[in-house]
Amino acid sequence: MEFAVGPAGNLGLRLVFSETPTPSLTYGLLSIQAQAQREFAGALVDSVVGYTTLTLFFQPLALDREGAQHWLEERATNLKETANEPEAGCKTVSLPVLYHPSVAPDLEWLAEQKNLSIEDIIERHSGSPYFAYATGFAPGFCYLGTVDEQLTTPRLTTPRASVNAGSVAIADRQTAVYPCASPGGWRLIGACPTPLFDLASNPAALIAVGDSVKFEPVTMADYRALKAKLNKA
Amino acid sequence: MRTLTLIRSGIASTIQDSGRRGHQRNGIPPSGAMDNYALRAGQYCFGHYADEAALEFAYGDLAFVTSHNCRFIVTGAPTVVTIGNTERDSGRVEETSENQVVTIKPRGQGIYSYLHVEGGFNTPLQLGSRSTSPRERIGGVEGRYLRDGDTLPLGSDTRSRITQCPTPITVQDRDLLSLRFVPGFQFDALSSAAKRALDTGTFSVTPRANRMGIALDGSPVNTGVQSLLSEATCYGAIQIPPDGKPIVLLNDRQTVGGYPKAGAVIEADCQRLVQSRPGQRVQLIPVTPQEADRITWLEHHYIETKLS
Repeated sequence: MEFAVGPAGNLGLRLVFSETPTPSLTYGLLSIQAQAQREFAGALVDSVVGYTTLTLFFQPLALDREGAQHWLEERATNLKETANEPEAGCKTVSLPVLYHPSVAPDLEWLAEQKNLSIEDIIERHSGSPYFAYATGFAPGFCYLGTVDEQLTTPRLTTPRASVNAGSVAIADRQTAVYPCASPGGWRLIGACPTPLFDLASNPAALIAVGDSVKFEPVTMADYRALKAKLNKA
Repeated sequence: MRTLTLIRSGIASTIQDSGRRGHQRNGIPPSGAMDNYALRAGQYCFGHYADEAALEFAYGDLAFVTSHNCRFIVTGAPTVVTIGNTERDSGRVEETSENQVVTIKPRGQGIYSYLHVEGGFNTPLQLGSRSTSPRERIGGVEGRYLRDGDTLPLGSDTRSRITQCPTPITVQDRDLLSLRFVPGFQFDALSSAAKRALDTGTFSVTPRANRMGIALDGSPVNTGVQSLLSEATCYGAIQIPPDGKPIVLLNDRQTVGGYPKAGAVIEADCQRLVQSRPGQRVQLIPVTPQEADRITWLEHHYIETKLS
């Protein structure tokens, strides 16, 4: 596979593959990330896996640039093209979703645009599991792929000033749940009552890169009951 | 409990230590003091070795009282500190007494100042740090900017070592601020016009500047790069949105982004950029990673020398 290793500022190194994102590539990047944590230990401050990238951040003065670059290149060269195995921590997360216009301002618009019924949209959106390719934007926010081609929709030209926490959204062929209220430009088609980020939990973020996510459609009554239960807790 | 109460909370005031490490993978930015040198200078004066938190405030405007006799120092952007009838320039350890009002006023230079008290601000640690990330609502006081009337818990250690803080090196009048950057990310994919605009252009600091980043104004840099797959950002990253006006990403940046990045301004020069006021002219100068390492080493050595 074609790759490049370059600087990410004066304290970081970035590995990028010129490949289409796949779960196998993500598993490979996660494996290199785990190895890097062992290899560089205290010198490594943080690391982030993106769609096709792994970025390592080092302590000032602790980076042996040539050594680390060589180490990354060697790992990248040895990475298998396909069928990399999930890392030990990768899990499947099931998320209840209410697909209803009262919590999803773009649901009817999308149905109209795509000439689909709302039931069709629910089926296509919740039919198969998604893969968490990247996290970021907000704590607990995960970029999930890949959305059914029939549901592909561009972002809003002007993002909404505020999107409710728990909003289930689509942009291009990605889907996501907004963990907290924030501005947002994705199209909103549902609502999920499960909190995705909670500082009192360990880990604080429910979904990590490499996890699979399955959306389970629920009725308005179930959604309300789940919300009430969580509010009590 | 020993406390400090803000009478006037000032502008963009937050509790900050050196930042939160290891959580960018979960979308949590490092945050931490914008002028890390100023933070360390104050910590040094009080013999703080456990990354004790300070109160960061912008444009030098603050007033407070303490519940007890308390030593404090203001570092970073220079200010005038008034206790009763005594008015003095910041940068010295001062002592205030119970319920005495302390007023801090700007001296027209730099942006961020730091109020350090002996023992540090004792707000709760969250994910290993006391730093405030307002967008994520983590750290500090309820994860938010400080308000008038906030009462902050203080540590109780008395370990004061020296009384005079080293002169701030980040705040200086400069006609043209050089921002040395390590090219990287999408740099090779930039159009030659974009590379030329970055290399020869002069930019200026705009008022669109906060803890997330600082937008620069100048001839637009048209990257010619289409939208990207989301990937990690980094401290100092020069992000170029479709309008062609570069933004230097800082402590409270989003941890991933999809806009092209030309590289990243080195740590040492970011520290000077954050203390620059709108209108400051800047130029971007590419350096090799090896040169950047050398500068980092010299800068850290210099700071260590200053603080000993």
